[in-house]
Amino acid sequence: MARIGVFVCECGSNISEKIDIAQLIKHVSTAPGVVVAEPYRLMCSPDGRSYLEERIKKEKLTHIVVAACSPREHQQTFMKVCERAGINPYLMQLVNIREQCAWVTMDPNEATEKATRMVKAAIARVRHQAPLQRREIAVTPDVLVVGGGVAGIEASLTLAGPRRKVWLVERSAGLGGSVNSFPRTYPDMQDPRVGLGSRIAQLKANPSIEILTESQLEQVLGFFGNFQVRIRSTREAGQARELKVGAVLLATGAKLYDPAKIRGYGYGQVDNVLTSMEFEVMSDGDGVRLSDGSMPTSVAIIHCVGREVKGYCSGICCMHALKHSTYLKQRWPNIRTVHLYSDLCVPGKANQAFLENDVRAGTELIRAAGIRVAKGEQNINIDFVREDGAPDRLGVDMVILAPAVEPHADATELAGIADIALDKEGFFARHHEILGSSSSSREGVFVAGCAQGPKDIPETVMQAQAAAGMILASLVPGKKMEIETMTSHIIESYCQGCKTCISVCPFGAITFDERRKVAVVNEVICRGCGNCSAACPSGAAVIKHSTYDQIYQEIVEAVK
Amino acid sequence: MVHLLRMALEKGLLDAVMVPMRVPAGDGFAHMLTREVALVEQAWPIPPVISVQSGKAVANLTRRGKGAIRVGVVMRPCEMRATLELAKLEQVHLENLTLISMDCPGALALRDFSKSPANEISKFERALNEWEERDIRPICQVCDHSNMVSGDLHLGILGKQEDSFPLIANSAKGEALMSALGFDQATETATWEREADKVTERRSLARQSWKVDLKARIEGPDRLLGILSNCINCHNCMRVCPVCYCRQCYFDSEKVKHPADDYLEQAKRKGALRFPPDMLLFHIGRMTHIGLTCVSCGACEDACPASIPISQMFALAADDAQKAFDYVPGRSMRDPQPLVVYKEKEFEEDETHG
Repeated sequence: MARIGVFVCECGSNISEKIDIAQLIKHVSTAPGVVVAEPYRLMCSPDGRSYLEERIKKEKLTHIVVAACSPREHQQTFMKVCERAGINPYLMQLVNIREQCAWVTMDPNEATEKATRMVKAAIARVRHQAPLQRREIAVTPDVLVVGGGVAGIEASLTLAGPRRKVWLVERSAGLGGSVNSFPRTYPDMQDPRVGLGSRIAQLKANPSIEILTESQLEQVLGFFGNFQVRIRSTREAGQARELKVGAVLLATGAKLYDPAKIRGYGYGQVDNVLTSMEFEVMSDGDGVRLSDGSMPTSVAIIHCVGREVKGYCSGICCMHALKHSTYLKQRWPNIRTVHLYSDLCVPGKANQAFLENDVRAGTELIRAAGIRVAKGEQNINIDFVREDGAPDRLGVDMVILAPAVEPHADATELAGIADIALDKEGFFARHHEILGSSSSSREGVFVAGCAQGPKDIPETVMQAQAAAGMILASLVPGKKMEIETMTSHIIESYCQGCKTCISVCPFGAITFDERRKVAVVNEVICRGCGNCSAACPSGAAVIKHSTYDQIYQEIVEAVK
Repeated sequence: MVHLLRMALEKGLLDAVMVPMRVPAGDGFAHMLTREVALVEQAWPIPPVISVQSGKAVANLTRRGKGAIRVGVVMRPCEMRATLELAKLEQVHLENLTLISMDCPGALALRDFSKSPANEISKFERALNEWEERDIRPICQVCDHSNMVSGDLHLGILGKQEDSFPLIANSAKGEALMSALGFDQATETATWEREADKVTERRSLARQSWKVDLKARIEGPDRLLGILSNCINCHNCMRVCPVCYCRQCYFDSEKVKHPADDYLEQAKRKGALRFPPDMLLFHIGRMTHIGLTCVSCGACEDACPASIPISQMFALAADDAQKAFDYVPGRSMRDPQPLVVYKEKEFEEDETHG
């Protein structure tokens, strides 16, 4: 037999100045099951809370209705009182007669009448409420890093430790990413692959890091602290691994805009027109040659290829363009090196000096517009318009194009798999431009490196370490998190296996049991949103603490 | 049609067929699952009545998964459409089924047929030969999908040339079966298209005026309750409906059973309470649940013991609801049901502002 206690808080004068508390109590005390109906001056105060606890114990109350302020304010407060008093916290209903009644109803009679209905409705509801258990799970401190380039490698090394495992997933067969193709980097013109090689060796030697090459991320379910991810090997077709991780870091890099899309640059039509990346590869081991095998005597480097189309400055191409001419001049001082640029972007402490050195070595910098590259009689003709508006022409043996940096073709797909937003340029969007620059739009999924936006190697490392830092600070091994109590449950005998609930679940929390031909909710991933319950025609999907009976009884009482 | 089925069985292209036949005892018809060629010879591919909606029959067979054998199923377009909708809801598994439809002249009312079978059969033969709507059910008279091709094969009866009908393949499965049987792809479908369009246009026109008339008859709570006044809450309409697939109907569950005090309270407030209550809630609720999948097959109206034009009422509501979503149930497996399609901007014209 239910023994319901109703406690009406006066909230100082907030509630009592509008609602006639005595009247309210008189009307609700006759509701079925109510054995106690009392006012209290300030229920949330320490005295109020002890009083409530005492009353529950003394009157052996089984269910509680507290008529007071908003649940956002004190739901947890009164649930804790219930726990201390020995009754299940889900057998308590907090009715908001302050924000939703006293504070918004002008006429005291109407306010009292409304409050009476609200409290009686809550009494009807609470009678049908069931005890529920709060559940905690330990967060998984382990991390999934997607992308084995510089960002992924640095983040993995920062994160991995005896109490934290890192899985590093890389699409290709080897680690190192774009930097593998750079025989030298600015401003020191040294081979970065030496250092990269030793970082990779450290990575492989670290017992807390597992490297999965030729693998891709296929699915991310769950939430921060408790993700379930699926990795599929592209090698052995169909081989998939399910991993439990607490956070995911996407460090999948970027690529160069395809200059073939702009006919005027001659890429793919005119011989000896290369992209910056192609030149890097060619210059490894000093293999700089024209297509006929001879040495070029002159090289033009064209900046901002695709910048107008993309609408942003990629920030790093001017510097690597200058790197090319610096290299050429260092190796073959007699080569003519000319840059055709629209704006020069050389920020940072060392970069201006790098540019000046190159100019001192004889590199020419020409501000140009309207660039057109075409095959000439002897070599390549570049027609352009000078800064003063006059047309001009340059004849060179080789053209290097510096295209914009843009997201990989499958960045959109990966964002879909990780369920994160893209920014308007198509890179993974930052959670906040200033305060969340290594976090994505989804809590627990982080981003680092060029996948988030074009950047150079030092900036990449910085962002990777920042992302790692965010993860280290929040995913503390041994920390516990509470999972949603008010989850969905599918009653097997009503389920007809139509999978409509699965189609509408935004969290991927429902799976289909092939043997029993019914849908099943994963209570750890379920957030209790209610979509499944609304979509199910048979009423098989039921949300705990918002069952049909509870809501129906509440409404019936409210409109009587 | 029978010839096609017999050949398919004899050549081992199908392992069994499910086709309407006269039941052995009595006058009724039902879909029979058989591989006996002798029985198939006696089939009625287009029976005068729709007894059990064959979408339901096919769901009975394949709800738990495809069977081990290949079955050819002969069905009217509305049954085909119901079957496809059920497949979208995992209640039918199509992999080992070959669905064969034909142009449909309509069906007779089950009640009339059971009273006087011989008479009704001759009426149906006339309807079949002349393809006119005089004797067929009201819901069939206004059917604008009677020639729909949405299965694997479709027999274009209206395109009859001398002694042959064009056979139209609508899928790789259909094409494979046709060529294995040695039938050429219908080279000339122009006649069929023309005749089929004529029928569709005629019935669409009829549909428009029928909608106006029916709406006038049932619009507003009083008229609606009036037309439903004889309803005895038997829920037959729900039971025979092919797209009502719930294991237990919401309206049969505990959720609609209330304590006596609730009923007494309602009776007090309204002055009187009809028993059992919530009859209108059942119909409107069912309309909300299946309105977007309703294929206007008329099974509900055939099954109603109180002769309520329930399939017409559902078709009226379903038409507008389906049009709002630009959804034609059963047209193609590639059309997802509106309930599971999310669009950020939708029905903006119906939004209220400020």
